[in-house]
Amino acid sequence: MPDNNKRLQCDSQEGGAMSIARANVTVVDDDVLVLRSLDRLLQSAGFEVEVFSSPKDFLEKRTANPAGCIVMDLSMPGISGLELQQALFGTRDGRPVVFISGQGSVPASVQAMKAGAVDFLTKPIDEAQLLGAVRVALDKDRAARGQRAEQAAITACLAALTPREREVLAGVVAGKLNKQIAAELGTAEKTIKVHRARMMRKMAVDSVAELVRLWTLTQPPQA
Amino acid sequence: MDAHTATPGVAAALRPPRWLLPALAVAIGYYVAARLGMAFTLHPHPISTLWPPNALLLAALLLTAGRDWWWLLLAALPGHIAAELQSGVPTVMVLGWYASNCSEALIGASLLRVFVRGVPRLDSLRDTGILLLTAALAAPVFSTFIDAALVRLIGWGTSTYWDLVSTRLFSNALAALMVVPLILAWAAWLAAGPAKMRGARYAEAAALFSGLLAVCLLAFAMPHSDAHTAPAVFYAPLPFLLWAAVRFGPLGVVSALPAMAVATIWGTVHGLGPFTTETPQDTAREMQLFLITASVPLLLLAVALAERSRIERESRSQLTHLSRVAMLGELSGGIAHELNQPLTAILANAQAAQHFLANKPGERAILSEILQDIILADKRAGDVIDRLRAMFKRGETRTEALDPNRLVRDVMSLAHGDMTTRGIEVVPRLAASLPEIRGDRIQLQQVILNLIVNAADAMSMCAPNDRVLTVHTLATKGRVHINVIDRGPGFTVASEILFEAFYTTKPQGLGLGLSISKSIVSAHGGRLRAVTRKGGGAAFLITLPALARRP
Repeated sequence: MPDNNKRLQCDSQEGGAMSIARANVTVVDDDVLVLRSLDRLLQSAGFEVEVFSSPKDFLEKRTANPAGCIVMDLSMPGISGLELQQALFGTRDGRPVVFISGQGSVPASVQAMKAGAVDFLTKPIDEAQLLGAVRVALDKDRAARGQRAEQAAITACLAALTPREREVLAGVVAGKLNKQIAAELGTAEKTIKVHRARMMRKMAVDSVAELVRLWTLTQPPQA
Repeated sequence: MDAHTATPGVAAALRPPRWLLPALAVAIGYYVAARLGMAFTLHPHPISTLWPPNALLLAALLLTAGRDWWWLLLAALPGHIAAELQSGVPTVMVLGWYASNCSEALIGASLLRVFVRGVPRLDSLRDTGILLLTAALAAPVFSTFIDAALVRLIGWGTSTYWDLVSTRLFSNALAALMVVPLILAWAAWLAAGPAKMRGARYAEAAALFSGLLAVCLLAFAMPHSDAHTAPAVFYAPLPFLLWAAVRFGPLGVVSALPAMAVATIWGTVHGLGPFTTETPQDTAREMQLFLITASVPLLLLAVALAERSRIERESRSQLTHLSRVAMLGELSGGIAHELNQPLTAILANAQAAQHFLANKPGERAILSEILQDIILADKRAGDVIDRLRAMFKRGETRTEALDPNRLVRDVMSLAHGDMTTRGIEVVPRLAASLPEIRGDRIQLQQVILNLIVNAADAMSMCAPNDRVLTVHTLATKGRVHINVIDRGPGFTVASEILFEAFYTTKPQGLGLGLSISKSIVSAHGGRLRAVTRKGGGAAFLITLPALARRP
């Protein structure tokens, strides 16, 4: 899409987030036999796999903000899976989590799902279930990453606007006519037209509808 | 027939039949018993005051299967003939007595088999009651009628039918009362595998028996003036018999009673002691009645005590088992987790192997790694099940030499799943090269498991970093310590109250765990104590006697 290409040109900070060759799955389980077996299963299905045998190890050694998803055991000594999930919220690691558990405790699964887990699988796990959940999680990660990248691009475009252009943008988004904006800002309609054209070019949009969509994406979601 | 089929046949033929040893024992025993019986004869009164061969034969029948009885009865014949022919009795009469003696054993044993399955037990009042009614009452009564009838029929001697009945009846009954329980009790003791007794116990038994013999000889085998028989004389052996009943149970009493009987009869036969009357018949009867009336209540007392302690032991073991099963029930979630882990590993490995076979069939190394892991996982699941089965089993207490660290490690792996799901870290601090301890593996594991589960419960409200449970083993002089330390809130009541039955702080608890744990540790000669730690948390301390190190 030509629009996207144009927009990415003004993306100044968060580039390259979507350029991952292979999806990365991180497995955290304190049981080494289980860990090895899941490692093999995910590798055999073509995933890039990284394993940690303790939550502490994982928190210390994980890469800063990678793409991919996390498969983790719910019950581990020291820090439980749920506590680890909470700990990850504190960092910028927003990777989707798939929980695996030796026993299907309903309260724990509810809590995990509420906290945003993609799935909650009970051991022993069938490969179809696991691979399905991992794919869903990776899709979710990719979508979230795409969205974040687009937001970052828009934010960058917005940052490139002059104060006057931003005022014009606010007026346009509010659905006002050039005449009305000119009256509010106390200038000629002609001047507004020039600002508006420059603003639309900087924002890399052709229509007001497109501009409004981008504008909404940068707004915090309303409760 | 070729060599292959002939060999097992020859081997089977060479193996002695199972009745051979009992039959030999009966032949010899019967002879010795008959000679003893003759020595107990009050002269010139021709009949023995205590005739043990019949009772010996009866006891032998009770200890063997019905199909082998004929061999034993047959084996008694040579012993009978060898003993009786020395007394110059006509052969017909000797054979007649053989028949009547066998009839007593047969009647007693058959009647008993109707009411009691297997060998009658001397720690059961019912079995012993039936034993007395059949072997010591019915069998002598019926066989004495047969015996007296045979004597009259053959026409040996001059006694009347009823004289014969009355003299022989007491003699046979007394013998059955003395000999049958004696043989049964010692046979049961041998069958159970003789328990190891401490030196002090042997000394006590020796003191008891020498005291009893001395008192019996003083009371019943001293020159006596029949005008002044103080009733106290008859009670003289009583303290020793009670001592035997209370401290040594049925085995003690059934051994003490014949000792008293022999001393008494010996005295009486030699014209000593208080049982001297006008006629030998009366003397014999008075002495026999005294021995019978003294024996029955004491035997029943010992049996009643033994029965009570057996029932107590059984219900305690039932309770111990019950609380163990209840505890395993609480752990079931954790145990499911413990089994699910290896199952997960097996499944994921197998499915990975399928992928590798389909996509990279050339890679043998990875397949062999996978198979190795599958084997490991399978063995681990098997171990979990083995440990679980051992804990679920209800069995007799089995003592063996145990490694305390191994005990702790086994319990830790059993509780691993539960501890993991609860987010509790178990830290073992096990001293290297501990001396062994002696005890029942399952019961001691139950105690440690109980303490670990309690400690975990106590820490359920702790912060994740504080959910740490330490199991500490160490040795001091002659002792091994196993300490279970938690970081929970400790306890607020006096530590003795914790160990009381039905005291619990858990909503679902029975309050039996700690009380049973304490009694298990006490039964092992150790102590279980609880202390609140200064830094917070509780510590439960098991102290057990250490076994001497092997050189």
